[in-house]
Amino acid sequence: MEARMLSTDVFKLCLKVFICSSLGVFSMDGFSQEASSVTRLKKLTVEELMNIEVMSVSNRPEKLTEVASAIQIITAEDIRRSGVTRLPEALRLVSNLQISQANSHDWAITARGFNGLPSAGGVLANKLLVMIDGRSIYNPLFGGVYWDIQNVLLEDIDHIEVVSGPGGTLWGANAVNGVINIVTKSAKETQGLYISAAAGTLLKDQVSARYGATLNPNLFLRVYAQRMDQRNTELDGDKTAHDQWHNTQAGFRLDYNPSTANTITIQGDTYYGEANDSISYTVTDGQNLMTLFTHTFSPLSNLTVRGYFDRTWRRRPNNVANPFFYELYTHDWDFQYRFPVGANQSVLVGANYRFQRDQVVRGLTPLSRDMPLYSGFVQDEIDLANKLLKLTLGSKFLHNVFSGFEVQPNARIAFTPNDVHTVWAAASRAVRIPTRFDSDVTITPIKFDSEKIAAYELGYRIRPLETLSISLATFFNHYNDLRSLDESEPPAPPIVLANSQTAESWGVELSANFQAATWWRLRGGYTNFHKSIWAASDLVLPVSKEFEGVDPKNQLMIQSIMDFPRNFQLDLVGRYVDDLSAVPAANVMAVESYFTFDVRVAWQFKSSELSIVGQNLIDDQHTEVGLSKIPRSIYGKITCRF
Amino acid sequence: MSILKTIAFTFLYILLLLSNVLLFGQKSMPDVKEYQVKAVFLYNFAQFVEWPATTFETANSPIVIGVLGKDPFGSFLDETIHEENVNGHPLRVTRFSKLEDVKECHILFISDSEQDYLKKILEKLRDQPILTVSDMNNFARQGGIIRFITEERKTRLRINIEAARLANLTISSKLLRLAEIVPEEKKIEQ
Repeated sequence: MEARMLSTDVFKLCLKVFICSSLGVFSMDGFSQEASSVTRLKKLTVEELMNIEVMSVSNRPEKLTEVASAIQIITAEDIRRSGVTRLPEALRLVSNLQISQANSHDWAITARGFNGLPSAGGVLANKLLVMIDGRSIYNPLFGGVYWDIQNVLLEDIDHIEVVSGPGGTLWGANAVNGVINIVTKSAKETQGLYISAAAGTLLKDQVSARYGATLNPNLFLRVYAQRMDQRNTELDGDKTAHDQWHNTQAGFRLDYNPSTANTITIQGDTYYGEANDSISYTVTDGQNLMTLFTHTFSPLSNLTVRGYFDRTWRRRPNNVANPFFYELYTHDWDFQYRFPVGANQSVLVGANYRFQRDQVVRGLTPLSRDMPLYSGFVQDEIDLANKLLKLTLGSKFLHNVFSGFEVQPNARIAFTPNDVHTVWAAASRAVRIPTRFDSDVTITPIKFDSEKIAAYELGYRIRPLETLSISLATFFNHYNDLRSLDESEPPAPPIVLANSQTAESWGVELSANFQAATWWRLRGGYTNFHKSIWAASDLVLPVSKEFEGVDPKNQLMIQSIMDFPRNFQLDLVGRYVDDLSAVPAANVMAVESYFTFDVRVAWQFKSSELSIVGQNLIDDQHTEVGLSKIPRSIYGKITCRF
Repeated sequence: MSILKTIAFTFLYILLLLSNVLLFGQKSMPDVKEYQVKAVFLYNFAQFVEWPATTFETANSPIVIGVLGKDPFGSFLDETIHEENVNGHPLRVTRFSKLEDVKECHILFISDSEQDYLKKILEKLRDQPILTVSDMNNFARQGGIIRFITEERKTRLRINIEAARLANLTISSKLLRLAEIVPEEKKIEQ
């Protein structure tokens, strides 16, 4: 009774708060992000102008030119102007990633190939490290990422950094072919109210709300929630794929800056979703909570301590024949310290402890496993000649429960004679540590070892004009102890996983950014990729090659961002992906090459924005990987900021 | 029952917190970009600086805002001065890729990309009636007139009055009052 009373009170209060807040919101002067704010800014006195906090265009692009790795960055603006609605789509804007949509909710994402057997829908892609604000999101079950549960509010993303090639030294485990680091804005940068609603043909609906508040001058909070529904795609013969999907996610971020030297961030998310497939459906559910502390001793010296907890849970409730249940707990503690040595060296040391425990109901032996992972790294950046020549040496050391102790060293050198040119080269060794699938899928214990890669890279960046920058990266990778499917003799099951393949891959990644006019920006990239895989033993089944990946040889992406008078925007993203050959042994059909594009038309009025986005417009539908056909789709969206 | 009560109280607390914030919380403007503000500053400078009478051919000759080197403003500067005029002088934006191109210009923003040539640029412009503005370190101390300083995300101004005097420009006290003046003893010796 008491509780009921209370809940009525809560309801009344809710209503009151809602009314008050709406009034409050409408009486406040809305500042829109774009042109209309110029008019308002002009009305301010110089003194008021001095008190406006600005969002600094970080120096990253300048620093970027000196980095000795194939790094590409997309900004919040690139994402917003592309009209994409969720993270995997946003990653398509990074041309050094190879991305295919399998169905309404599954994606195959990799860098430098090895995207797994196409019919596996991306679940076998296992050579990428993916992080959201430093929280690792690849799972130790397959070494891949469940993309259906990674629903960052795109509006919160500050930028996404993608490094293709091994990032094994600095970053965590699994950074074999690349690292994706998604960085969200601080709560200070997301103040005020943001609401958006979208509805369309494939995207059934997407509703997001975010509120940012200043709790005291040094303490900032944001809270957000998002709901998204996606409709079914189709299979051959106009049959529905029954793959509709929805997800609801909410979270917060608290940023506390008690002094200029110290910052504390606490953030967390919780989500619930249901992804359908032709037989059943998967319920997904998860939570995470992270704390980050940074202390700056001097511009050249700082300390970062990060800790997080993450819980991921998936199950297929009404499928008795093929029950699936997966639960994963992760605790992670990370420490990094940067300090200068002498005038020309900057040293970075780090230590990480990760504890993971999972639980399945069948298929793996044991059903539950504790997976502690200890790692440490040291890296020294040496300025050899007055910033013209920079040498970076480092190594990561890690110990894991499957393959024991591993060393991942690398050496990188960058030559920057002036602002226009940078030439860089790198040699690295990285390992993919075994996953539960690799080690524990059979009852008889097999000794699955880590996959090793030796990578050699050579890159060149040029800025021939103030408005144009071009980056070229080439690579040659050699893989040893690559996973294979081997025949075996009784009592072992007929097929076992082993390390009996060797592979080589090479390719070119070209990307460019061009400010064609003040109102027109172009960016894009081209990737050329080749690989060959050999069996190192007679027992290897021929299908092993394709099991590790069927990858497109060529792909091209171009994004155009145009501002027109009267606050109109017209944006395009076009992409071409080469064909994927058939795998008769696994009953997988060839996938035709395709070219398609997305168009976004938007109009801004005061603090609101209306947009219409057409996606995959060329064909009625096309297949990217797997059986589902991705249809042409359109959606409309309204966004308000107060 | 007690769990329900706890939950209800927690909700109540969060709502109260939120409602306070919504109604009385400080509100800063979201996502104002650095160069959006700097563009508006340049527009303001046109109003707070007096050029020698001979600078303008006629009463409605334009005031030209130049950007030398890599333009960091994007479309912000053009949007800001669009259809604006100061005392009858319409405002124009011109972009220069190198120093030799700088001809008719009243306010010149020197981009970071010109860092290496700064000495040469300031030397050539020092006695011309051009208000030089930049983000570069030590710009005002090296003889530039106004430097933007971004500190804790706010924009401040540092003004070298001596350099303004050499250029024959009069800067309004309204602007000087709010700026940091470069110490007199740091004379320009280019």
